[in-house]
Amino acid sequence: MIGFDAILSAFIAALHYESIAIIFGGVLLGYIVGVIPGLNRAVAIAIAIPLTFYMSAYAAIAFLIGLSKGTAAGSAVSAILLNTPGEPSSAATCLDGYPMAKNGKPRKALKVGLLASVIGDLLATLLLIAVVIPFASVALKFGPYELTAILVFALVFVAGMAGGSFLKGLAAGGMGIILGTVGLDPETGAARLTFGYAELMEGVPILPLVIGTLALAEMFAQLDEHRRNKGASVIKLGKSSEDSLSYREFKSTLPTIFKSTGVGAFVGALPGLGPTVGAFMAYGLAKRTAKDPDSFGKGNPNGIAAAESADNAVIPASYIPLFGLGIPGSVSAALLVGAFMIHGIQVGPLMLREHPEMLFTLFSGMIVASVLMLVVGWYGLRIFAKVTNVPPHIVIAIVIFLCLAGIQVQGYGTFGLATVFVFSIFGYFLKKFDYSFVTFLVAFIVTPMLEMNLRQSVILSGGDIGILLQRPIALAFVVFTALMVLHLAWTAYRRWLGDRLKARQS
Amino acid sequence: MKMKRLSTAILSVSMAFGVTCLAQADEFPTKPLTLVVGFGAGGSTDIQARVLANVLEENLGQPVNVVNQPGAGGAVSLTRLMNNQDEGHTFIYAGTNGTLTFAPHAHDTDFTLDDFRYVASITTVQHAIVTGENRPFGDSWEDLIEYARENPGTSYATQHALDRLVIEYIMEQEDLDLRIVPTSGGAGMAPLILSGDVDFGYSGGTHSGYAETGEMPVLLSMDGERLFAFPDAPTVMEAGYDIDTSDFRVVVVPKNTPDAHVERLAEALEVATRDPRFIEITEERILMPVHFIGEEDATEMLYSQSENYRRLLDEMGGVPEDD
Repeated sequence: MIGFDAILSAFIAALHYESIAIIFGGVLLGYIVGVIPGLNRAVAIAIAIPLTFYMSAYAAIAFLIGLSKGTAAGSAVSAILLNTPGEPSSAATCLDGYPMAKNGKPRKALKVGLLASVIGDLLATLLLIAVVIPFASVALKFGPYELTAILVFALVFVAGMAGGSFLKGLAAGGMGIILGTVGLDPETGAARLTFGYAELMEGVPILPLVIGTLALAEMFAQLDEHRRNKGASVIKLGKSSEDSLSYREFKSTLPTIFKSTGVGAFVGALPGLGPTVGAFMAYGLAKRTAKDPDSFGKGNPNGIAAAESADNAVIPASYIPLFGLGIPGSVSAALLVGAFMIHGIQVGPLMLREHPEMLFTLFSGMIVASVLMLVVGWYGLRIFAKVTNVPPHIVIAIVIFLCLAGIQVQGYGTFGLATVFVFSIFGYFLKKFDYSFVTFLVAFIVTPMLEMNLRQSVILSGGDIGILLQRPIALAFVVFTALMVLHLAWTAYRRWLGDRLKARQS
Repeated sequence: MKMKRLSTAILSVSMAFGVTCLAQADEFPTKPLTLVVGFGAGGSTDIQARVLANVLEENLGQPVNVVNQPGAGGAVSLTRLMNNQDEGHTFIYAGTNGTLTFAPHAHDTDFTLDDFRYVASITTVQHAIVTGENRPFGDSWEDLIEYARENPGTSYATQHALDRLVIEYIMEQEDLDLRIVPTSGGAGMAPLILSGDVDFGYSGGTHSGYAETGEMPVLLSMDGERLFAFPDAPTVMEAGYDIDTSDFRVVVVPKNTPDAHVERLAEALEVATRDPRFIEITEERILMPVHFIGEEDATEMLYSQSENYRRLLDEMGGVPEDD
């Protein structure tokens, strides 16, 4: 076991001014990439890997970790100010962030987002340190049966939370599911709905889809708005006291932050689910358990806090299966494996035994990165909040350019650009006719994972449903899902009864 | 004064043109090169390509940019390269097995083997059939076959059409009844094998990371030779199955690339395969042996492998096609 001295020296190494400078560079770069809607975390890491060739192993890893954390904090900025998530996983942040900014409290929204990000990230990092050694193998208890049950639960939960018209929700979810099944059939290898495009064989590429439906469609919608009533809907950076975050308000979001960090860390520790699912589940939980669920979606700071803390908690938590078992839990974790390899470190169960000092250096670097994230974010938001002073006809053009350039940089080619345009038109009409893009997006992301895990479960069990009795975790989630459906049906029925009663009285 | 400036301008322009014309005649490369990886960033192909680009840059005297064009197991990048007119300034670092020699038979790819030139093969993929620790059949292939015969419904994790075809062929040969579970990539397979939910499965290289802990023993090497890090496991051939499943990584350029350019690239690649940085990352980290097989032999290898898969597919009645 590693001695206390070694842990201490690891922390001292991380506090060296050179290390701090490198991590700071990573966080800053990540923050900027996070703000730009077209560029995402995985690409930033991929592009930065060659830069790290010339650094020492520690500096390289610290830089990349800073980068990956910075993107998560930065992506909230564009979600809140422009209603275009900088990363797909910040889509949940838009739900309350943008309305709040529109209500004249952009600074407050940004600060809540930043503090939630940093706390979520820091707590999940501490959890990682405490948990990675003894409990990594718990993730293996979550096999295909458990994951299937959790994914069904997530789908029902998020769809139920979105609210609005039941039929429209079903339609949006159905569209997501259909698009999620595009690509090669995982079992027979038959091409489904690809219309002869080789680019679709691995499914509709997620980034162009998200950029199209969320970012570009939003820009079209804003353009539309801007044309009709010039300057009316522009976010104003007021000097009013309303726009500053008081300690009491911050304190009132803390319970939400803690709960959501828990959700994010749980989702992150299971390989493959990813930050988008985590953020939406935390948002759903916050809304369900709130005293005033109706204020969500209209600028409730708890909504921002839930989405951001969970989004950020997923990232450190996804390193639990990585360092404990050698299984990368997310795309950025997989990229880090590559970076480690280039610098001569084999990631996996052996790392703990052979390079424990490296692991602790890494942990200390992660904590320093969290703190630096706060610094960069705090000063960054002052600069980025100025975006609101730029007239919309300039901002919109720049955002559209960045979206398209990002797709091009990431090698999606002309096909990617065409995909973006198709989905921007689709997303525009989703918005216009008030279909829930949350349900659509979550259904699209969950479907391929759900299909794979469900098929695995059916094949492995030989189609015997009795297997659930041997898998208590899976059974529990199946029961939760059933209760959830009953609860949703009951509230819908009561609302319907209430409406009828009202109609009769009037 | 003005005249002088003008004439200098004309002179320098013509000189510049002259130089480039000259350069084009006998120099390659004349501009930055693009190394395309047909997969996302972070995989073993991508890591190798990034180190390779770094090494090639020094030899070729031009920057080499790595570009990821993921999609359809590498097929998207090859389809794009097919119509490329860059005369060798754009090349792909690709795996042969799934993408080049098997895919054209199994799926409707736009390209065939004839559409490209194969500058050189530089590494061998160490793919294998693997299992987990403490299984009832231990870590020997023979015991597994015996166990699977006695226990119908023993489960196998597949990753793509090719390894599925191989395991179906083995099932037929050995008269087994296996449950074949689809998974996506090494990250999807590893938890199933490590947790024991699935008995054994295909691994493209993930097992190398567990070589020293012994958590993922190799049952059967799918390369033509025994694996580097697992010398005790027999090869597919040694176990008595007459199929060649070996997989190489080659550098691919479009068919119309001039001979001189292919030769220059091959020369740089040969130097790269002796470079300690490329050897270290490939042999010591990713655990894949480095070699250098020139255009002629590499091409022959690919054609014989392609023929081998065509035969196997015929024998097995083709891959499950969409109706």
